[in-house]
Amino acid sequence: MSLLASRPTALIQARWGFFIFTQFLVALVAFVLLAGCGPSVNRYLLIEASLRAHDPKGADAIVAGAEKDYGAKSRVLYGMDRGMTLHLAGDYQQSNAVLEQAEDEIDRLYTRKIRTESLAFMTNDTALFYEGDSYEQVLINVLKALNYALLGQWQEALVEARRIDHRLNLLSDRTQEKNAYRDDGFARYLSGILYESTGDVNNAFIAYRKAYETFESTRSWSHTDVPSQLRADLLRTAEALHFTQEFAEYQQAFPNTKWESSQALQQLAQVIVISYNGRAPRKEDQFLDLPISLNALQLVLLNRGLSQPNRQSNQAMDTVLYGLNGRVVRVALPRLVPQKTHVPIDTVNLIPDHGMKVAVNTELVHNVTALADKSLSERIAGITVKALARATSKFAMAEGATRGAQHAAGKDAGPWVGLLVGLVTKGFAVASEEADKRSWQTLPDEIHLARVWVPPGRYQVQGSAGGFHNPLKSEAMRTLSLGPGETAVLIQRVMP
Amino acid sequence: MIVMDRGRIGFVALVVLMLAGCAQETKITRVDSGVVTDLSGRWNDTDSRIVAESMVKEALEYPWLNNFSSSKRRQPVVLVGTIQNSSHEHINVGTFVSDLERELTNSQKVTFVAGKGDREELRTERKEQAMYAREDTQKAPGKEIGADYMMKGTIATILDEAEGTKAVFYQIDLQMVDLESNAKVWYGQKKIKKVIEKKRSIF
Repeated sequence: MSLLASRPTALIQARWGFFIFTQFLVALVAFVLLAGCGPSVNRYLLIEASLRAHDPKGADAIVAGAEKDYGAKSRVLYGMDRGMTLHLAGDYQQSNAVLEQAEDEIDRLYTRKIRTESLAFMTNDTALFYEGDSYEQVLINVLKALNYALLGQWQEALVEARRIDHRLNLLSDRTQEKNAYRDDGFARYLSGILYESTGDVNNAFIAYRKAYETFESTRSWSHTDVPSQLRADLLRTAEALHFTQEFAEYQQAFPNTKWESSQALQQLAQVIVISYNGRAPRKEDQFLDLPISLNALQLVLLNRGLSQPNRQSNQAMDTVLYGLNGRVVRVALPRLVPQKTHVPIDTVNLIPDHGMKVAVNTELVHNVTALADKSLSERIAGITVKALARATSKFAMAEGATRGAQHAAGKDAGPWVGLLVGLVTKGFAVASEEADKRSWQTLPDEIHLARVWVPPGRYQVQGSAGGFHNPLKSEAMRTLSLGPGETAVLIQRVMP
Repeated sequence: MIVMDRGRIGFVALVVLMLAGCAQETKITRVDSGVVTDLSGRWNDTDSRIVAESMVKEALEYPWLNNFSSSKRRQPVVLVGTIQNSSHEHINVGTFVSDLERELTNSQKVTFVAGKGDREELRTERKEQAMYAREDTQKAPGKEIGADYMMKGTIATILDEAEGTKAVFYQIDLQMVDLESNAKVWYGQKKIKKVIEKKRSIF
């Protein structure tokens, strides 16, 4: 190891002699190559800070202010981020408007532009239009459905439930592999709740059944159990529809589940609590520097020894070193960084004007981090092949340009010109390599849900999280006035 | 020299190609409201208008109208009830209801009365007249005409999609219900099928 490390030092020193003479030029080249690659202020940190301070309107203002920074290629991402912050800020109508735009844009992006694909092949995947992962696209409709439910527009919420069904059917048709993300337990479950809340018990039962099957089949990678409330919902709707065979099967499958009949709940009011816990995972660059000569291998090893990999600040140094060496091919791949929540369970208290308070415990229904992980692992093979092909093409073109320039400059100036052109073209090949790190980061790490039926009346809603172990408190919510048969939806954001 | 010329031609071609995508700008053209404009394939003003016109025309051609007129010696009084949206789209049902109301009113074959939403506003106005208007101009309560029939229905869709081709099937069901007996005196159905094809790639 020490032998390998000692040789490139001498080589670098020899090259640094040249570097001193041309430092101005190199600095200029590096500046040009890296223009636009500098770290912009991480808006997601600011959004998180606002959410921690129970200021969703401030978080929304940050996203709105950064609209131009998202750029034309990330209109869908802007719509998703903004849709979520507007939803948290209580502006459900505007949230739906931006989410609808994002959905329309995704529809348009079905048609791929060859020139955009070509540009991405010459540079990196961030040049592509962002259309979101499949699970993110489904969550757009989920969020819209919740917005409509919060506005009391139940028929419109059902339109979103139908769209969820259509989107998931398409996904299922398109995805052959059985263990892949081809259905969505939470989206199905929420659709069932919406159908049941509007009196359509038959469609509710079908949605619950699909949700149950999906939770069961994806348990190994989604790390989400079948919610206990869903078991009760299946029993209740199967009984209400007189589906005796299904009812008997579910009774056998869930012997310990407590449930009440639809008739018993008819005169009560329903409260649905949706809790967004923690932060969605982020993505970062994972650089693979592939040397194609022994010298280059030594340089890569030395460089990795001297500097921490994947740091933005080290990219300029890498660009110059690898550009000068000319025998290093860089490949950038996205890597998921989970940001798991520390809140395992949250409780919402409903305090009536008269009588005992009702404590509602939510349970995990959607593990966004697990879904993001699954989605990336399904795509990483394709991303890697594409990245390798791109890196090889970029290197071949740079090599061609260097040799062409050397040949054109003649014998005397050839080595100098070749070195400079090689520095620029190969430096560009290294500097332009960047993984597509875009993802819907205003999502939570986990979504929790609770359903409870309470006697009609007025309730003070008090949100809390973390139970007795963590005194983290979310903002106080509101007063509810509930009539018999009515449904209220409550949302809360719990950080971290 | 030849190399230079080729280089120039190549450069000019590249610039032309790069600028080709920058030639888009907003263009507005006024068109007659009757012109069919199918842009996205979704439910649009043309669908709303065509369905309302054809279904109201059909409804008024059926014998229930003549039967009522001959037995009661007056035009039937009709109102439009709820049109339920059971589709995959956020359809502005209000526009469709307005189209139905317009067609019913202009047919001159039925007396059309205001629906639930409008009635509330009119009653509030009458209450205010009773308090603030001159006595000889006040409109008395209890003189509304009760409807004989209610037109109600649903808009539903069936979607089928694969490989960028989407078939949307709209089914609009309307029924005329006798408010006294709950008997359905007319049941109309209109179907629209659209096929939307999207290219997978363009230059």
